[in-house]
Amino acid sequence: MEYVIQTENLTKYYGWLFWKKQEPSLENLNISIPKGSIFGFLGPNGAGKTTTIRLLMDLIKPSSGTATVLGCPPDNIEIKQRIGFLPDTPAFSSYLSAYEFLDTCAKLLRIPSSERRNRIEEVLETVKMSKHAKGKLGTFSRGMLQRIGIAQAILNKPELLILDEPLLGLDPYGRQELKDIILNQKRNGTNVFFSSHILSDVERICDHIAILNKGHLLCSGKLDDLLSAVGYRLHIKTGNDELAKSLMDEASGTMRLPDGGWELTFSKTESLPRLNDVQSKNRETVTLTPMRENLEDFFFRKIENDDRK
Amino acid sequence: MSEIMAIASGTWRKILRMKVVYFLIACVYVLIGSAYNYDVLSLQHHRDLMIDISLVLNTVAAFIVVISLTFDIPREIREGVASTLLTKPLGRTQYVIGKAVGTIVTGVVICGLVALGFFVIFNLAFGEKIALTMIQSHLLVILSLVPMTAIGAFFAVVLPEMIAPIVTVVAVWFSYSTGVLSKASILYGGILPDLDLFNFKSHAVYGGAIGWDYIGLVFVWGLIFSAFAISAASLVFNYKDIK
Repeated sequence: MEYVIQTENLTKYYGWLFWKKQEPSLENLNISIPKGSIFGFLGPNGAGKTTTIRLLMDLIKPSSGTATVLGCPPDNIEIKQRIGFLPDTPAFSSYLSAYEFLDTCAKLLRIPSSERRNRIEEVLETVKMSKHAKGKLGTFSRGMLQRIGIAQAILNKPELLILDEPLLGLDPYGRQELKDIILNQKRNGTNVFFSSHILSDVERICDHIAILNKGHLLCSGKLDDLLSAVGYRLHIKTGNDELAKSLMDEASGTMRLPDGGWELTFSKTESLPRLNDVQSKNRETVTLTPMRENLEDFFFRKIENDDRK
Repeated sequence: MSEIMAIASGTWRKILRMKVVYFLIACVYVLIGSAYNYDVLSLQHHRDLMIDISLVLNTVAAFIVVISLTFDIPREIREGVASTLLTKPLGRTQYVIGKAVGTIVTGVVICGLVALGFFVIFNLAFGEKIALTMIQSHLLVILSLVPMTAIGAFFAVVLPEMIAPIVTVVAVWFSYSTGVLSKASILYGGILPDLDLFNFKSHAVYGGAIGWDYIGLVFVWGLIFSAFAISAASLVFNYKDIK
């Protein structure tokens, strides 16, 4: 399997000599992010998410351990041409207009001058900021700055998009638009690595996650593999009331659907063999789907277990 | 090179777009022009006084531009502007050089405007042609921006935000005081530049000749000093954690 990001025992202590902190901000982080994934990086405040991202972007230096981004060490300047990055608090030169700022970024990204204008207009359109192209960044709201931050991150059509808390400061529409942008980026072949506190959004768009707490990794992997099944949902089509009634005693919940069908939920995993049997005999009328633990429950369980240690 | 110019253009745009800069330049013109009225106080030496004031104020203007750099780099690091830029294909050395080049260009424009304004005021006040030495003296002030900016960039990168401008002020003041402090050799053992090399006020006033070869050599010396100072700044900056 090909990986876009790999870290090996990545550790970071802030401070220096006598001022060196006793506790590491990040300790022996080992993660591998497969190519073609949307990777959600989760953890409470101070868990080490931003530290990891800053190490990957070579803004800070590791105390020990190594990292590779797109197969190269993070201090390789050339790979930055293939990466898009949005910091947690987007801060840009306030005296520049949005267009001028993106033009500066385009120059730094070595986008040919013949393509620069079109590309800037394209990304401004993507983040719905075309109307504000001439507005000074110093006059923009947090949400508008976030959009400009996203625009500069996707300006170079990156292979890897690293976003630190991208959903922060956006209104519900903005959040939805950003999720669409992230999913579009994935469709175009971009790998996305982002940290967030908004677990419902992460669950909706990520296929891989990692959870950090107090500077160490609690778990990492495919979302479907990590979230365990907590029960099953059986959907029975209209006109099969007898079948539904025969299963009601075992079900932990029943619901009559507006179309006359039934939805039965089973919290006991022991019911699975019988449910499989029902489904195999009534393929046309019955649909069985597993109900998995939601990310929020999983996240809190992991953090609480770790805090108890 | 284009990366350096992208950073440099951001720096000069920032300062040259401030209306207060042009207001201050206008104030400088008023101060230079006011020297004409000191004919009695200066015992009819108001012509010399005007030349002297123009060179002093031009040096102060250059100095203020350099000080702005010592605020600008730490602020960009603190606010996270630098980190956004440094996640692009831009080396930290290129960032420091870009900031220095931008400051020098800003200084050249502002000091150039001060010098031009002085030439016009002087010509209107005394009806004299502008002597070559006067032009050369102002040119030397403009060239002093190169080592001064390097000092500012070095301290801006190495020291915390509130200390860097103060240390830069002291360093530049010492660098202009080589005549007085020449015995304190530790200060001038290659650490601080001798900015007195760029000070030709007496030549401008009394008309002594300044050779172009001297100006060329001083400029080259300024470039070499700057190369060392910027290299040292980059060395530190390359290992610095950036917010």
